[in-house]
Amino acid sequence: MRILAVAHNTFREAVRDKVLYVLVFFGLATLLGSKALGWISIGQEIKIVKDFALASVSVFGVLIAIFVGTSLVYKEIDKRTIYTIICRPMARYEFVLGKYFGMAMLLGVVTGFMGIVAAGYVAVLGGKVDATFFYALLLIYCELLMVTSFATLFSSLTSPILGAIIVFSIYVVGHATGILVDLPEHFDNTSMKSFLEIMYYVVPNFSNFNIRAEAANDVPVALGYVVWSMVYGAVYTAMLLALASVAFENKDV
Amino acid sequence: MLYIVADMDAILTENLSKTYRSQLGKRQPVSLDGLSLAVRENEVFGFLGRNGAGKTTTIKLLCGLIRPSRGKAHIFGEDTRRKESRRLIGYLPENPYFYEYLTPRETLDFYGKLHGLNAAERAAEWKKLSEMLDLGSIAEQRVRSFSKGMRQRLGFAVALVGDPKLLILDEPMSGLDPLGRRSIRELILRMRDEKKTIFFSSHVLGDVQQICDRIGILVKGKLTRHGRIQDLLEEHVQLVEVIAANLGDAAVATIGGMATSARTSEAGHHFIVPNLALANDIVKAVHAHGGSLAEFITVRESLEDYFMRVQEDRP
Repeated sequence: MRILAVAHNTFREAVRDKVLYVLVFFGLATLLGSKALGWISIGQEIKIVKDFALASVSVFGVLIAIFVGTSLVYKEIDKRTIYTIICRPMARYEFVLGKYFGMAMLLGVVTGFMGIVAAGYVAVLGGKVDATFFYALLLIYCELLMVTSFATLFSSLTSPILGAIIVFSIYVVGHATGILVDLPEHFDNTSMKSFLEIMYYVVPNFSNFNIRAEAANDVPVALGYVVWSMVYGAVYTAMLLALASVAFENKDV
Repeated sequence: MLYIVADMDAILTENLSKTYRSQLGKRQPVSLDGLSLAVRENEVFGFLGRNGAGKTTTIKLLCGLIRPSRGKAHIFGEDTRRKESRRLIGYLPENPYFYEYLTPRETLDFYGKLHGLNAAERAAEWKKLSEMLDLGSIAEQRVRSFSKGMRQRLGFAVALVGDPKLLILDEPMSGLDPLGRRSIRELILRMRDEKKTIFFSSHVLGDVQQICDRIGILVKGKLTRHGRIQDLLEEHVQLVEVIAANLGDAAVATIGGMATSARTSEAGHHFIVPNLALANDIVKAVHAHGGSLAEFITVRESLEDYFMRVQEDRP
């Protein structure tokens, strides 16, 4: 109940502060912009629109997750609104989870709305929207939830600017984890190779969530892969939220 | 859940101390140093001290916003590190901040949910508190348009959500105009009549003197004095004026020699002395000379004078 109350309030803040409207406006503008790209790519208009739509959902979502997410807890401390909240008979983790789930609701609405509009637009253009397109949307949403959990963790620890830089760096590295194991031969039997191999398993592998190319080209993706990626994201997210709760537990506000 | 709270101190702290750390982990000067204090149930306790003396730190420790470096605090017997201790607290921070995008009705509903109240209880709470704090006319306005006085009223309403037994108020009169101060003072008195325990910090010493049963004074993080206002001020009589009648000129001259100053008016002969012991000697002398006592006036120091004396560490 308390987690839900905080989550609902976090979502309501985004709606009342018009965050959603601005995002939806930019999202739709980008979607329509894909039409222009479609014109210059003869015969590939549908593919370009799908690719561009999914990319814009991902980019806008990540921007919201990082920039809103890294100020989630910090802003409450900075503006002192937290004083009258955590002096209630509630555990601190309930507050952290409430803020996180509020963001998850916001991202769900943004991803869902932009995805449905994109699918409708593709249908109007005469294209086919298959399951892979929705799988791609679902995995983008999972990726956003994971990025938000990183943002929530750093929001409990540091300032939004520093938090945003760190989370963005993790996001970039998480999309290029392959380079950590595909090393040239001269790395063989070196401690650096062992270190990078460990890092490969520690750093989140965000490319697991990227099936945009398959969706744009109507290449089927197995449901099992989608479920596996979701489980991976859920486990990672749960660990990060547990860490964020521990970090916030003994913090002086 | 049933909470048994009879015969228990509302607040009990034992050697409660707090030293903040900077971002880099460096220890800052001690903010609160070994506070041991008991606030009884149903009393109004005023917590005084200059800016930076440790009042807000104490309040934050009691409300679980910060963790003690040493010592313990209990609210109705429950350790403040446990969330259950906060079920019985209503907290009004200094300059309370609320979500600007909410209306008072939504704000109280939100805090009701955090307190674990169901929909019917929240509706009843809104009805009671909006009437008590006159929030009905601004029920649908967003908080961002509120004046300081309106925010303070809303803050009081938020503190009262869940009908707490203990109210912790941090500078509740700070920045308010005389009317606002009066309305908060009346609210505190009303809460006292409703048998709530009130612990509040303030710089407005006149109000403290009017409202509080007991006070504590913090100086640089240490509790230097505490007790009933009457008892604390009793200790320091500034002067005593004895007015006597039916005295001859010789007696007036003799007794006048014992006093710091003397004069005669229609009311009688006035003898002013600096303490009660000398005043008693004057009274005895008046009777010895066949005179009668018309009036005995003790002038004690005000709470403000007392507060200043404590700050300057004067005896």
